[in-house]
Amino acid sequence: MNEYVLQTNQLSKKFKGSVALDKVNLSIRKGSIYGFIGQNGAGKSTLMRIVTGLAFPSDGSIELFGASDERALTQARKRMGLIIESPSLFPHMTAAENLEANRLLRGIPGKDCVARMLEWVGLQGTGRKKVRNFSLGMKQRLGLAIALLGDPEFLILDEPTNGLDPMSVIEMRELLKQLNHERGITILISSHILSELHLLASHYGIIHHGKLLEQLTAQELNDKCQQYVYIKADNPDKAATVIQNEFRTADFEVMPDGAIKLYGHMEQPGKVSSTLFSAGLEIEQFMPMGEDLESYFMKRIGGAGHV
Amino acid sequence: MYNLIRSELFKLRKDRSFRVLLLITAALSLVYPLLYYFDNKSSGDPQFTGAEFLIKFMASNGYVIKFGVAALAGFFIASEYATGVMKTIASSGNDRGRLFTAKLIGFSVGAMAVSLVFPIVSTTEVSLLSGFGHLPEGVDAFFIPRALGLTLLYTAGYAAIGALFTAVFTESGKTIGFSMIFFLMIDTILGGLGEYIPFFTTVYDYSIFKLMNDIGKPSIDGGDLPALLLVPLLTIVAAGLLGILVFRRKEIK
Repeated sequence: MNEYVLQTNQLSKKFKGSVALDKVNLSIRKGSIYGFIGQNGAGKSTLMRIVTGLAFPSDGSIELFGASDERALTQARKRMGLIIESPSLFPHMTAAENLEANRLLRGIPGKDCVARMLEWVGLQGTGRKKVRNFSLGMKQRLGLAIALLGDPEFLILDEPTNGLDPMSVIEMRELLKQLNHERGITILISSHILSELHLLASHYGIIHHGKLLEQLTAQELNDKCQQYVYIKADNPDKAATVIQNEFRTADFEVMPDGAIKLYGHMEQPGKVSSTLFSAGLEIEQFMPMGEDLESYFMKRIGGAGHV
Repeated sequence: MYNLIRSELFKLRKDRSFRVLLLITAALSLVYPLLYYFDNKSSGDPQFTGAEFLIKFMASNGYVIKFGVAALAGFFIASEYATGVMKTIASSGNDRGRLFTAKLIGFSVGAMAVSLVFPIVSTTEVSLLSGFGHLPEGVDAFFIPRALGLTLLYTAGYAAIGALFTAVFTESGKTIGFSMIFFLMIDTILGGLGEYIPFFTTVYDYSIFKLMNDIGKPSIDGGDLPALLLVPLLTIVAAGLLGILVFRRKEIK
């Protein structure tokens, strides 16, 4: 049995004069939550659009649930749900009518799934209210309900938390976790809120200028995120000298505000603090810290920029 | 395929622009005969009977069809690109050819409904005011079902062309504007081209654009009937296949 829900092979997409995707080889393991990270225009949406059949590759291929020829891919897309950029809704219809139109489109028998999905996303009380009068959070939840019609095995979510208030972001995260844990749904998700993605994803893919720079698991990311001890002492120069002499290391940075980042001594923070204290230094702040996904991403793409 | 058609018909039933179009057409269909009614009443001219009105004004329904198809193409189909619904539809795991065919069927049903409003509402109103009367000498009894049947067939032909435009333009405004101009100007364009290149005269003579004027003819020669039936059918097939071809290759934004 294929352990991957999606695999792309040298997938490329060219627009007039620009390369949106450059020979991307991406693999999404069954049951994972794959956080897709990249700046605006990096190629995230283009890849998602190709996978969902909204755009066509210039070169390379995709394999979805083991299907790779066009006819089989179309069939495989029945096992998928999606929200691309914004939820696709009929503004003049109610939530139930939107679900009904999509139920008919997907050929799902029985109307009971409509009420079930409404209840599941907490929109059962919306009655005759038209979708155009919904808040953004309600629209996102309805979009998710539509994506979940027919019990998909694979969800593709492009910026599903865009424009949501903090409470709705948390709700969405919990819903997605629940779907992944309880139903085993594989999720491909892109988000600008990397801290949010960090709380959700089990795997990551970093894309930059159309190239997939790296794929790694959450564990690998944690291992790679450099850990350090953050030290703020009354005399930074003396503290730096003490560290250099006592621990025979140059692997530290003195920040402009005088704080010191000492790398590679995470296993003995007590020894570090007592050494500095014995040298007569007054320690104002002392804490073990690590890089987060955001700083790792910035480092990986080689500079500043917006995700 | 059946579920796709059901989905399109469900959307049509709930579509606000379709309802508004039906209401406007019905309102105009009620007002139009009243203008003649009061005019004839004040001038003392004899009133139209329902049968006379239907024969005389059947040709005017062509404008309702052209306007109805253009508006519905823009609001019912092309707007799905703007709302993003087309993304869900295209990625639903259904073949794009089937999706377009179902859309064309749903759209044609809507356009057909609009096309029948004027002849039915107006004729009914005039009949209530002045009686239905008798069909004039030389008009066979088969006239009414034939005229209404051909109206439906030609509307479907126009709808196929309108659906093709939606696949090309994918924007409501562009679709409505282009369809409207195309349907209103095509007679003049083909007629003008025909003056220089006779081939275009033949094309125009055997196009739905010209033959639609024959729908309201009191009597049709047996020899003309095959062309009158085949031309809209071939238009539906040709425009439908072209639409499928375009839709299959379309990247949906």
